[in-house]
Amino acid sequence: MNEILKIEKLSKYFGGVKAVHNFNLSLQEGKIHGLIGPNGAGKTTIFNLITGIYKPMDGNIIFCNQDITGKKPYSIARLGIGRTFQNIKLFANLTALQNVIIAGNQDITYNLLESFLRTVKFRKEEKSLREKAMMLLETVGLADMADKMASNLPYGHQRKLEIARALALNPRLLLLDEPAAGMNTEESKELVTFIYDIKERFNLTILIIEHHMDVISNLCDECTVLNFGETICRGCPSTVKRDRLVIEAYLGEEYVC
Amino acid sequence: MFIQQLANGISVGGIYALMATGYALIYSLLGFSNWAHGEVAMIGAYIAIISVLNAKFPLPIAIIIGIIIAGVFSFINEKIAYKRIRDNKSPTMFLMIAAMGLSTTYQNAATNIFGAKFKIFPGLFAVAFHIGKITIGSLDLISLIVSLVSLVVLDITINHTKVGLGIRSVASNSYTASLMGINVDRYISLVFLVAGMYAGCAGILLGMKYTVYPTMGNVALKAFISSVLGGLGSVRGAIIGALVIGIMETMVTAYLSSGLRDLFTFMLLVIILLVKPSGLMGVHVEEKA
Amino acid sequence: MSSYVEGVAILLGLNIIAVLGVSILTGFTRLFSFGNAGFMAIGAYGSAILTTKYGIPFIPAIIISAAFSGLIAYLIGALTLKLRGDYFLIATLGFGESVRVLFAYIEPITGGARGFTAIPKYTNFYITAISVVIAFIFAWNLVHSKTGRDLIAVREQEAAAEAVGINTFASKQLAFVISAVYAGWAGALYSHNLTFITPEMFNLAKSAELTITTVIGGLGSLTGSVLGTLLVTLLPELFRSLASYRMLIYGIAVVAVIVLKPDGLYGYREFSINRIISYLKKVFVKAPKKGADIVERNT
Repeated sequence: MNEILKIEKLSKYFGGVKAVHNFNLSLQEGKIHGLIGPNGAGKTTIFNLITGIYKPMDGNIIFCNQDITGKKPYSIARLGIGRTFQNIKLFANLTALQNVIIAGNQDITYNLLESFLRTVKFRKEEKSLREKAMMLLETVGLADMADKMASNLPYGHQRKLEIARALALNPRLLLLDEPAAGMNTEESKELVTFIYDIKERFNLTILIIEHHMDVISNLCDECTVLNFGETICRGCPSTVKRDRLVIEAYLGEEYVC
Repeated sequence: MFIQQLANGISVGGIYALMATGYALIYSLLGFSNWAHGEVAMIGAYIAIISVLNAKFPLPIAIIIGIIIAGVFSFINEKIAYKRIRDNKSPTMFLMIAAMGLSTTYQNAATNIFGAKFKIFPGLFAVAFHIGKITIGSLDLISLIVSLVSLVVLDITINHTKVGLGIRSVASNSYTASLMGINVDRYISLVFLVAGMYAGCAGILLGMKYTVYPTMGNVALKAFISSVLGGLGSVRGAIIGALVIGIMETMVTAYLSSGLRDLFTFMLLVIILLVKPSGLMGVHVEEKA
Repeated sequence: MSSYVEGVAILLGLNIIAVLGVSILTGFTRLFSFGNAGFMAIGAYGSAILTTKYGIPFIPAIIISAAFSGLIAYLIGALTLKLRGDYFLIATLGFGESVRVLFAYIEPITGGARGFTAIPKYTNFYITAISVVIAFIFAWNLVHSKTGRDLIAVREQEAAAEAVGINTFASKQLAFVISAVYAGWAGALYSHNLTFITPEMFNLAKSAELTITTVIGGLGSLTGSVLGTLLVTLLPELFRSLASYRMLIYGIAVVAVIVLKPDGLYGYREFSINRIISYLKKVFVKAPKKGADIVERNT
């Protein structure tokens, strides 16, 4: 099995605050890895470091044997890392379909001149991009909402649309930032099946931030627990749940038995 | 000669500072550049001058009326335009476009009502004071004193009073401030009122020093550049920036050419943006995504 | 065609070209520039100098001066587009004003503040009409291609645009360069239409007017921009008595539009005969319903 993502000694401070300190991760292809921890533990900061929004102060990020540390977000995305955002960032005034089509732009090979001449190649590529976008909307169950404005979709559908948009990039690694936020138990159960399905279907490796422990337990092969930027525990979800430090971090010392 | 120019520069810089602080305050609260600020100054100057010329008010009363009306206009701008745009949750750029529209509106309204001709404050006696080698006109001295006192009062208010604390809390994070039970809109209105009054004061001083005309608000550009120079949003930075610009302008006019004055100011702006975009007093903050 | 009508048509045409540039920049990429009058000035002075002092024919002079505008925009963009929105606006403002002051200062070349006179009148109806058609087709094709989608993504959500592989910096730079080329192009037509130019014609108010027209026409709509320009250019010609209130009315209009109906006349969608017909049908066949178009857009 291939190592798709390798993070070594990753650190990022904001002023004096150690948002992430000495973080290491080795992620095998086809696995689902969970990142958990209380608010402010540095989970989203790790996502932002991997995707190039922040520049790390120290450490390396290797994706598919390529050093991507300090690269620009768009070039990291083009290499095949898709993501969703904790506070949904859709193209709000565009339709669901347009949202996905934009993300599929990287498939397109025609140049400006060809687009002006509306060549056969232009029309063919535009058509296949449209079909791909529709297929992805179908995958996430939003096919009948293709022409709705993204900002008018219900919250849960917006999260699904973000996933469809990330998939349009043809990613090998997908970063999901709290996909189950605001969902009830029933919905998060559905989400687990859904994420597992898209992983199988698109040959993905997934790194997921989640607070719902049931999602993590049912989905992840392994997970890492963070607190104040430090890794406090790592292992399969069932072991992690019993870890003394983890319970302390989440519930406070008095709950440790 | 040099010290004389320095004194003149500080006097001009003081007037710029009265406007620049308003820019800075509004920027720190709402994160946008209020282009209509110069027109508020223009309105203050016009109200004061017609109060003297047409309504025959004594000058001090006219000045006070001018300052108050300027404050009221600034307040109205916030109520009819900016607040609604914020409530619509429109992008920040729309605030700037609205400000640009207001600026165009007031400039052209003034041209239509008062005519494009220059108006001159009547009955200003000019006495020159001699302090050592420096000769300073009474008007320059007055504007220096007025701006100095106003700026000190503003600085103390912001940094050492309860109201100032409220304003700073809204500036630092209006959402959190509102959760803490602070009436954010009231503070924003207050800041627009005060910033407008300061601008009106600056407009009247400029009108007395030079003349009053519909596009005089364009001078706010200098005040704006001052606040960029000092770091957008920083009140003290705005004061320092205004003094730097005032002194530089008088120096360029005195030693090089008045035609180059504005070019130097804009060059300084562009250089500052390229070398240290956060300004002299601004702090670079890495935004959390 | 009477010379009056031709004059108005030429004015309309070159305004459309300059506004289309701002439309791509502000309407599609959400960058706000106060410097586009400066690019017009470069185009206007550039082509005037090329034709009068170097004897270069008109068409190459337009192309060279518009390209030069674009080059300047490329350089300025490279330095300032990394800055946040406000700072970019301020930098363009500083640029626009610097160009104006500089042209007033280098009197031997530009004629200084008194203006550049005796520019040959080369601009005619046909050159203007062809220019407008080319400018519109180019803009339309750009907006309806991958590149246009990249610009729109930058407008809607910059962080998300980067996350789906869009080089937002390059997109912004492209929009800025195109808007400068359009402004320079319009400027070149302008100087050879008026036959004399002064730096004061390309002041902040001119930059503001371009943005105002774009906003009234509707951000994010090319046809809206054309309609906006028609309105803004022709109304004062039709109502001569209102001419002195022209800018006052536009000022009020832009505030009203941005506060009440931020997408302007045709925001975020293009003018289409079919939609007008279906709208009219709806209005006349059913009971007239106020605000029907708003409902239609939101669903």
